[in-house]
Amino acid sequence: MSQTDTQSSAQQQSPESEQPRIGVYVCHCGGNISDVVDVEEVVRAVAGLPGVVVARRDMSMCSDPGQQLIVDDIRNSKLNRVVVGACSPSLHELTFRGALSRAGLNPYLYEHVNLREQVSWCSKSDPRGATEKAIRLVGVAVAKARLLHSLDPIRVDAKQHVLVIGGGISGLRAARDLARCGLAVTLLERSPFLGGRIAQLSHVYPSRDDARGLLRRILDEVMADPNITVRTGAEVVSSSGYVGNFQLQVRLHPRGVNGDLTSEQLQAVIEACPEAVQSEFDHGLVKRKAIYRPYPDSSPSAAAIDWTTCTRCGKCAEVVDGESITLDAEPEEITLDAGAVVMATGFDLYQPRSGEYGHGEFSNVITLPQLVRLMDETGPTGGQLQWNDRPIKNVCLIHCVGSRQMPGIHEPGPDGRLNEYCSRVCCTATLQTALEIRERFPEINVFEFYQDIRTYGRGHEEIYEDACRRGVTFLRYRAEEPPTVSGAEGEAAPSLAVRVKDTLTFGEELEIPADLVVLSVGMVPRDIAGLVETLKLPCSADGFLQEVHPKLRPVESAVEGVFLAGTCQAPMDMTEGCAAASATAAKAAALLGRGHLELDPFVARVDLDRCQGEGKCVDECEHRRAITMVETEVDGERVTRAEVNPALCNGCGMCAAVCPHRAIQVEGWRLDQYDSMIDALVADYPALEHANV
Amino acid sequence: MAGDEQATTSRILILATDACAYPGADNVGQIHSEYPANTYIMRVPAPAMFPEEFYLRCFEKGIDGIIVMSCGHECPYEGAYNRLAVRIGEVHKQMKERGLNTNRLRLCAICTVCAKAFLKEVRQMGELLAGQASASS
Repeated sequence: MSQTDTQSSAQQQSPESEQPRIGVYVCHCGGNISDVVDVEEVVRAVAGLPGVVVARRDMSMCSDPGQQLIVDDIRNSKLNRVVVGACSPSLHELTFRGALSRAGLNPYLYEHVNLREQVSWCSKSDPRGATEKAIRLVGVAVAKARLLHSLDPIRVDAKQHVLVIGGGISGLRAARDLARCGLAVTLLERSPFLGGRIAQLSHVYPSRDDARGLLRRILDEVMADPNITVRTGAEVVSSSGYVGNFQLQVRLHPRGVNGDLTSEQLQAVIEACPEAVQSEFDHGLVKRKAIYRPYPDSSPSAAAIDWTTCTRCGKCAEVVDGESITLDAEPEEITLDAGAVVMATGFDLYQPRSGEYGHGEFSNVITLPQLVRLMDETGPTGGQLQWNDRPIKNVCLIHCVGSRQMPGIHEPGPDGRLNEYCSRVCCTATLQTALEIRERFPEINVFEFYQDIRTYGRGHEEIYEDACRRGVTFLRYRAEEPPTVSGAEGEAAPSLAVRVKDTLTFGEELEIPADLVVLSVGMVPRDIAGLVETLKLPCSADGFLQEVHPKLRPVESAVEGVFLAGTCQAPMDMTEGCAAASATAAKAAALLGRGHLELDPFVARVDLDRCQGEGKCVDECEHRRAITMVETEVDGERVTRAEVNPALCNGCGMCAAVCPHRAIQVEGWRLDQYDSMIDALVADYPALEHANV
Repeated sequence: MAGDEQATTSRILILATDACAYPGADNVGQIHSEYPANTYIMRVPAPAMFPEEFYLRCFEKGIDGIIVMSCGHECPYEGAYNRLAVRIGEVHKQMKERGLNTNRLRLCAICTVCAKAFLKEVRQMGELLAGQASASS
């Protein structure tokens, strides 16, 4: 560590009213920066800049001793501004602001310089150029620092209420955990029934727990919790507000059936209904009626009417003399206030293209979720593995259908996107199903066609090993040469053949006869365009909702106060989805726990000495009610001036661009600061000339 | 070789949005891709905050090229990108009136993982400035 003290007469501690006393700290980052940038030269070059009192370098500024160096200098050298040149601000800007706070200095009297990601790491072959760049960038930061002033976080009351959108396992888990933290929760489920996709499973890997038993336990907890209000048939139509104070407009679709029907009456009204569609619960293997209940133990237990299928013919109501069935109810809209929102909207299943591995051509080419329903004792065949009443001798399971797609090999979907990601859960789910077939139906041969076996979770590899021991046959294909499925033309459910070039037998071409071909389809992002639009949620390149950072800010969306639970964010299994859901609950509870929030103060501020009341800023502002014109008194005269609601301003600065008097500026990003930064960027640095860098 | 020298001694200002382009520039460093050191990145919430005169002043002060790296239509601030695009068009008009090459101010969209696009923009601006210097030498 070295130090260059350019001024020593330090007596002031307070900020903007006094002369800037700036401390500059340049980090070696353990060589990440100093292997390329001549850090010592940077310190020398900036030490003489106006206002710089202390200039130092250190091996690791983010370490405790590094931070303590800043704290000590603020106290001993009476610094009132700090500049640190280190790694990206996304990693340690908050760290160093914290150091200022600990030293009793306002944390916004701080400026960060990115010397690692944007200098040393991208200029390795040009150390001289990198050093000049570092000097100029630190000079720019010092110029801005001279114009910094103290800012206070914006304090707003936070609603002690959380909206959870989605009533699958992740939404239920999040709701339950939030309620345990003492927060009021409203759980919104778009369909008439809770439980999501877990209800379609009989058991879950790796422990083979009873899936519906697990679901029942958490459902019972949710329904019994006085802090939780459940709304089914609830669709979010619009939103406004901000963290701590969201308002969501929710459309409640009528259920059409109340819970007073006996099971005999329910059976009778379902039989009376003439309208039928494919059952989404059984993945289209059978049909259901317009009035329906997906499975006997559903929650809520009352049946519901699918209004897109129902023709309101009234035949169901006739069976029960009109009681308990209401066909003329209209949707109702309500507004819900919330401090935070948890997205638990789940995923969709990849839908194979027509002809993809024979799907859509041969009825005995089905998907893994369909096979799981077939083998479920509550499924269409009562758990018997048969197809069109024919016994099955050979089952072929093909992995990675709709996942790990490659440009030039796979066709993009209707949205033009390839699913290049791995869906993660399908390998273990496929293996578990294969193993179960061999255990329950040992007379059936099972063949798995795979690229890689990705049994990444604890206890997953054991399922693969068990499947091997139980006689499942594995054939490995290359992504460039996927298996092909063929069958006799003209037959709806012919004997099929799956051909593959098997890399396990050094490229031997094999043909396996199949009675049933099962496509292990992956997860795709659910179409929640309306929610994405109204809540302004960023999506990743693969279409799932995007968290800010997987390690630094997991389960947080870029919209402060909106959290991501489960498979709306990425493919994950039930264990991982529940973990993410619990994480959202912990974060939302921590956010709202104090009853108020402190928001970053980087919002527009009006300088009343400059404002002439022209109102251009109001016209330019896209954020509803963030800037208004108000009557006020200036020098004894009643005048109209702009006023900013800090809680509503998002700090975009569009207002600043149109004000001819520079009377409105975004705090922390002021135009006078940028002007000064430009001046510093093009300035002459004597040290540069001297060193000829 | 005057052009090459100009390409590295000229100064390119990059205005990078906090939500997209700035982390995108970080990403370029994280994958250790190199680009010339005469590029200076300034973080900004939304470049729509800069009035026309800001850009003109930059050129007056000696900035050779400006790349406005926005979030494009992914901009988290409603309406900001469209406003920005209109404003850049207006600056181009004023640059023309002053005899400045309008290609010295470019608007593009860079996402958080757009490393290739980032490098392409920087390379193109460098080539432009080098060509300009060659033509005038």
